[in-house]
Amino acid sequence: MKLRLNIIFMFTVAGLAATAPPLLAQERAYFVTYDHYLEEPGHLEIAVANSSGFPRDGGARHAPWLELEYGLTGWWTAELYLEGVTSRRDGSAFTGWRWENRFRPLKGEHAVNPVLYVEYESINEASRIQKEIVGAGRLPFEPIAELREKHAHELEGKLILSSVVGAWNVSENVVFEKNLSADEGVEFGYSVGVSRAVGTLASGASCRFCAENFVVGLEAYGGLGSTEAFAAAQQRHYVAPVVAWRLSDRTTLKASVGFGLTENADRALLRLGFVYELPIGVRK
Amino acid sequence: MIRRAQQAIVVFLIASASGVVAIAQIRERDSEWTAPSEAAARPNPLAGRPETAAGGAKLFHVRCASCHGPDGRGASKGPDLMDAAVQAQTDGALFWKLSNGNTRAGMPTFSFLPEPQRWQLVLHLRVARRAAEGRARATGISEAR
Ligand code: HEC
Repeated sequence: MKLRLNIIFMFTVAGLAATAPPLLAQERAYFVTYDHYLEEPGHLEIAVANSSGFPRDGGARHAPWLELEYGLTGWWTAELYLEGVTSRRDGSAFTGWRWENRFRPLKGEHAVNPVLYVEYESINEASRIQKEIVGAGRLPFEPIAELREKHAHELEGKLILSSVVGAWNVSENVVFEKNLSADEGVEFGYSVGVSRAVGTLASGASCRFCAENFVVGLEAYGGLGSTEAFAAAQQRHYVAPVVAWRLSDRTTLKASVGFGLTENADRALLRLGFVYELPIGVRK
Repeated sequence: MIRRAQQAIVVFLIASASGVVAIAQIRERDSEWTAPSEAAARPNPLAGRPETAAGGAKLFHVRCASCHGPDGRGASKGPDLMDAAVQAQTDGALFWKLSNGNTRAGMPTFSFLPEPQRWQLVLHLRVARRAAEGRARATGISEAR
């Protein structure tokens, strides 16, 4: 399975790399929060990213992932994730894949723009990308080799609300997650974010370091227990400044430092992402 | 479960491929899509600052050309923006359209761009139209449809 996905990915990249004029959709500075901007129809975004979690005790775990995002239509964006985990003492593992869909029911801009999110995950307990945080309790810290044997099929839903307030984006997400492999309730989580572009007017020349290429923001996310227990004391919450820097017309670098606010949260959560966007199927 | 996963991936690839074989035609504009009159009445605050149009040209190249063509004359995924019916709209109307988009029809919303940059884009559309008219006069061919 892993090999096949790798092959498909390599072919996709190789087949598309040479094509098309420059172009880029908006760059979401957030790592966890979603806003209402979908991928432009016919555009493929390829991202490689990593989340490194530094727990209060125990060794760091680094979770790289690959993300393919495609705008199927103006109101439907689909994404495929492949993820892994590695640590210094404990080896590495492929931790699974995710299939995500976002739908935008309203065509124009509104005071609050809703987006519906549905994701299927086939992952194992070693997964550490922490793209969403739900439920309560700390992440399991058994050896990776042990955790990777515990598979989970999960269904995740999000209600995404996003607004433009002056020069700012303000987004709120509510997360629901059901582990289909275990007899446990539905877990809840949240994420909220604010962000804005740094520059105002665009300069005529192309420039790498000018303000217009930066988006900065702050997001906060965490778990809110489950239908079985709210467990406030056990929850994990984070606050994380984020920044996105457009390196070129097609590439963006993103970074974030998350600070764990509760006992069960990692002390720090460092995230880094590199995004490459290419329009496909564009003909004059 | 793996079988289902493979099916999902196949659907994804077919959908991607269908984007590749987009029809090589210029997309028609939608004459039904109009801006509310209040939005249409807003003047372009950059109208008196022609030096800011170059920034608009750069933004257009990066954000719009893939659908509307490098010169804005339309392509398979976006209509001709030099078209007389588009240019007859006010600055405010064009600003409203590119801010709001029409995601059902495939025009994204650009409200994430700072407002001044959206006005720069409107300014660019006007400058590009004048340049196209100038070229048409010079060659004696009516480019302005
Ligand atoms: C993903 C493709 C795509 C991109 C990118 C795109 N557009 Fe469009 N645009 C469209 C489509 C499709 C329509 C027609 C919408 C309709 O039929 O209602 C359109 C319509 C428009 C209109 C309205 C024209 C009219 O007939 O009144 C304007 C103005 C416009 N676009 C400007 C822009 C600008 C400026 C940008 C870049 C910031 C841009 N577009 C980027 C696809 C795109």
